[in-house]
Amino acid sequence: MLDLFWAEFKRSWLNLRRYPSEFVGGVITLSLFFLLLFLGAKFLAGPNANFGERTEAILVGFLLWILTLFAYGTLSFGLSEEAQTGTLEQVFLTPYGPIPLMLVRNLAGLGTQLLLLGTIALVLMFLTGTRLSFPPLVLLPIATVLLGSYGLGFAMASLALLFKRVQQLVNISQFLLIFLLQYPLEGSGWLAKLGYFVPLVPGAHLTRQMMAKEAALDWNLLGLALLNGLAYLALGIVVFSRAVQAAKRRGLLFGY
Amino acid sequence: MTAVLEATGLHKRFGKLVAVEEVSLRLAQGEVLAFLGPNGAGKTTTIKMLAGLLWPDRGQVQLMGKDPHRDPWALRHLGAVLEGNRNVYWRMTAQENLVYFGVARGLRFGEASRRAQNILEQLGLAEKSRTEVRHLSRGMQQKLSLGVALMHHPELLLLDEPTLGLDVESALRVEEMVRELAREGKAILLTTHQLEVAQRLADRVVILERGRIVLEGRTAEVLNRFAGEHYVVELETPPSPAQLAALRPLGLQGEGTAYVYQGDAEGLWQVLEGLKPLPLKKVARAEADLLEVFLKVVGRA
Repeated sequence: MLDLFWAEFKRSWLNLRRYPSEFVGGVITLSLFFLLLFLGAKFLAGPNANFGERTEAILVGFLLWILTLFAYGTLSFGLSEEAQTGTLEQVFLTPYGPIPLMLVRNLAGLGTQLLLLGTIALVLMFLTGTRLSFPPLVLLPIATVLLGSYGLGFAMASLALLFKRVQQLVNISQFLLIFLLQYPLEGSGWLAKLGYFVPLVPGAHLTRQMMAKEAALDWNLLGLALLNGLAYLALGIVVFSRAVQAAKRRGLLFGY
Repeated sequence: MTAVLEATGLHKRFGKLVAVEEVSLRLAQGEVLAFLGPNGAGKTTTIKMLAGLLWPDRGQVQLMGKDPHRDPWALRHLGAVLEGNRNVYWRMTAQENLVYFGVARGLRFGEASRRAQNILEQLGLAEKSRTEVRHLSRGMQQKLSLGVALMHHPELLLLDEPTLGLDVESALRVEEMVRELAREGKAILLTTHQLEVAQRLADRVVILERGRIVLEGRTAEVLNRFAGEHYVVELETPPSPAQLAALRPLGLQGEGTAYVYQGDAEGLWQVLEGLKPLPLKKVARAEADLLEVFLKVVGRA
């Protein structure tokens, strides 16, 4: 399995190295997207508006959104692309089985995604004059957010496997992720309580607290975030496994 | 001989369409089986079921005694070049593709790297090892797909139209490779619409029509069986109109000095008797080719 991880890692790294324009394009597009949102909000709020520490929170939310987008969309985008180009069946001929292969793919692709994210973070911090603290422990809540995102990604990949052309749905649902990442967990109302069970919410809340408000890691909340992430990952894998079975039964692995 | 592939009673239906019905196949080590049929006969559907990519409604597949639909490690015994697919990543080089798919089929990374080098040399692609696949010719891409299928030393190869779209030289090279692989002991299931290729390569032939096997047998025996009813008769000088008029009712067809007799050996002697004393140039049993067999079988079915 380690060899498979290494092969997948090399594959994603080669893509990045061989097509640097895609990397640069990604940095420019996503940075511009943030700046337009940020400056647009400032313009709407008027000249006296001061975002204060909200800017940090918004930037953290945005970066986390990009990371979840990668985790969420890579699998379904990859499956659609492979069905279109005709490598999907060769991929499914692996004796490891499609689910372990896809899990390894997710993990191996994380390296290049983090590199892209880090570059965007530096560019945006420079352009907006924002400083983000990055305590190493923040990796833990981010990891729980990633687990949940992979779970949602597996669910979306199930649709890609069965219906192939789901890119529009992926694009639209990306904005649902913003809502999940900005879901307020503060307070004691039923909405806050519900948040613990909504995908990505506890981990995203913890990350925001640590990176934007320099809060210490709340280990209890991290435990809940981990449970939340694992539960949605497991759910996503179950759904994907059912989709693979249905695709094999209905002959949907080939063709686009 | 040990069965590398044993498929029994495969049945697949898509809605109201019965794509494959009661198809059973057996393939031993070193054997090449030509799996033929017109478009839509169910060949690709069967191949996908053999490769574990499509679940049969009924029936069983065993690769070296293991069911690929239940045990994914059975796929270690299988290599496939699938028709209509690229089979390889275009953004990666030939060597990178071989290593990637070798590892994805269960090889260790170092072993895959060494094996990739051997395969590239074997395929005559060593000089192109560092070229991205999208820059390779169609023939080279096809050879690379075959290489990918061979990386993990599978006992069974499923080759769906392996020579389709290749120039003559590349097609002959692929043919030679198939022969070499069979000599090494690989069991090979080959589908192709190029029946002359099938005839040259296959030990056995299976013809599928509307999802059912309509003919199965050893290639030589099948060809003999279909050739047995024809004889070629060539003369030095043409027979007289009276002679010809007497011979036509016996089943002699043709004009001038070249004729075909359709009938058994006893009838042939009657024809030869009727041709006396004309000098004969050639009397021979007509050789059927697979195209003729195919057209007859499919036409009849």
